Amino acid sequence: MKNTIEIIRPGVFSSIQDLKRVGFKKYGIPKSGPMDDQSHIMANWLVGNNIYSETIEITFSGPKIKFLFNTKIGLCGSKTLVFINDKEIKMNKTIKIKSGEILDIKNCSTGNRIYLSIMGEMRLKKNFKSLSTYDKITLGGVNGRKLMKGDIIKFKKKKFNENRFVPEILIRNHNDKIIRVIKGPEYHLIDEKSINKGFIVTSLSDRMGIRLSGNKIKLNSNSGIDSSVVCEGTIQIPPDGNPIVLMRDAQTTGGYPRIGVISRVDISKLSQIKFNQKIKFNFITLNESESLINFEKRKFKSKLGIDLSS
Amino acid sequence: MIDNINIYSYGDSSMIIKSNKKNNKDLSLIYQALNSTNFDGVDDIIKTVSTIGLIFNPYKTKYSKLRNQITSLIDKINPLYKDKEVKEWKIPVCYSKNYGLDLEYLSNKLKLSTENIIKYHKESTYEVSMIGFLPGFVYLDCNNPILKVPRKNTPRSSIPDGSIAIAQNQTGIYNLNSPGGWNIIGKTPKKLFNKEGNPPIKIKEGDIVKFYEIDEEKFKKYK
Repeated sequence: MKNTIEIIRPGVFSSIQDLKRVGFKKYGIPKSGPMDDQSHIMANWLVGNNIYSETIEITFSGPKIKFLFNTKIGLCGSKTLVFINDKEIKMNKTIKIKSGEILDIKNCSTGNRIYLSIMGEMRLKKNFKSLSTYDKITLGGVNGRKLMKGDIIKFKKKKFNENRFVPEILIRNHNDKIIRVIKGPEYHLIDEKSINKGFIVTSLSDRMGIRLSGNKIKLNSNSGIDSSVVCEGTIQIPPDGNPIVLMRDAQTTGGYPRIGVISRVDISKLSQIKFNQKIKFNFITLNESESLINFEKRKFKSKLGIDLSS
Repeated sequence: MIDNINIYSYGDSSMIIKSNKKNNKDLSLIYQALNSTNFDGVDDIIKTVSTIGLIFNPYKTKYSKLRNQITSLIDKINPLYKDKEVKEWKIPVCYSKNYGLDLEYLSNKLKLSTENIIKYHKESTYEVSMIGFLPGFVYLDCNNPILKVPRKNTPRSSIPDGSIAIAQNQTGIYNLNSPGGWNIIGKTPKKLFNKEGNPPIKIKEGDIVKFYEIDEEKFKKYK
């Protein structure tokens, strides 16, 4: 078939994600989207796609995909070995791929996820304005689920003649495990000393939340709070004391104390930290976090020409 | 005048508006006003029982700017403004043991016969306090304090869609199959959530809900 790709091997959890499901939380529908949105944006930039467009989010181990049209691809995120017809290719740059060639993405090494952008537009059914896969209620993606062997995705072709590469300064090395956090509405309920020790990222983590262990947080008061709004990056303390950081598929409201919120610029970083690795929270003010956001905005503008406020 | 309102930041991409009054009419007025105003950079406006949450794109706007915009909006709200149209919903429920999985457990816990639990439940009037947590989950405030029970200690990993469940002073409608810790007393055949619909759910906060009982035969024939 013309202008398609075929999934030969799906990988553990590969799903289509974009940044377009905005405004539906009032119905309880999460935003979903890429866990590491910075890598998603850069991958799209490499092939001239809009930064809000869809990529394939690949978790832990990669897929094998046959391309049935000539196009360009981009790969950003965790360091990963990638081959086209058994010849190794580089990440973080525009790569040409020809009809009939096979892209083989191996295991993520330095992080959890790698993002594959493909020049063009996937011709799939949107739900709530978006192609983001949310498998709990089968939204977006291919039939609302992760990719499976034999899936065929059709593309609307476009032209993009540039060859781009991501400058070194924008490529994360995944060694930094300090996560910057702003105090949350229920910060006063915890013992300050306990939060300053480190935490371990556990394998119970998923797209909904990153579950931490190794340091139970005691609450001064045992009472939960009224069900209230929660947002991405929120650190919740459930009754067992092991924090949960809410991620892209998180629920829209919650009743556990919200003791902190990860700075917007560090949510992507946290999403790439592997199981059993240790992280530390570093508390900053709202002003400091806003400066980090501005700095990132300027960096994307000057290095890539991307306007994050577009 | 609308007063006694607290506005505070929540992370770098959200803010919360809280009313310190017992009655949440002010909050409903603010919620309506926010929904009919276009603020640059605001992605989501979510109302819960005692607060409104705004989630925004921090690359497009920031807390201090939005706070000023919202404060001046609140100052302009006419407190006598007529509430939006409140709709009344009548929802069928089958309270049979096949669907009311926790009826017997509740009967022991509340020291009420299952007949009486059902009677109190269907004779009460409910107000929609919020929609959320999970897609299409409806929270209903109950005017009858007799049916106040805590959540179950161990949540079920899967609650069938359509289940009607109670916890604290609230009734919840699980419109989609999901995990949950509320006590299930029955099931409605009425599909309230449609992912293809716009909006996907027509019940809105502030609406009134009443339940009526149907038997299993009617449940199976319901369209």
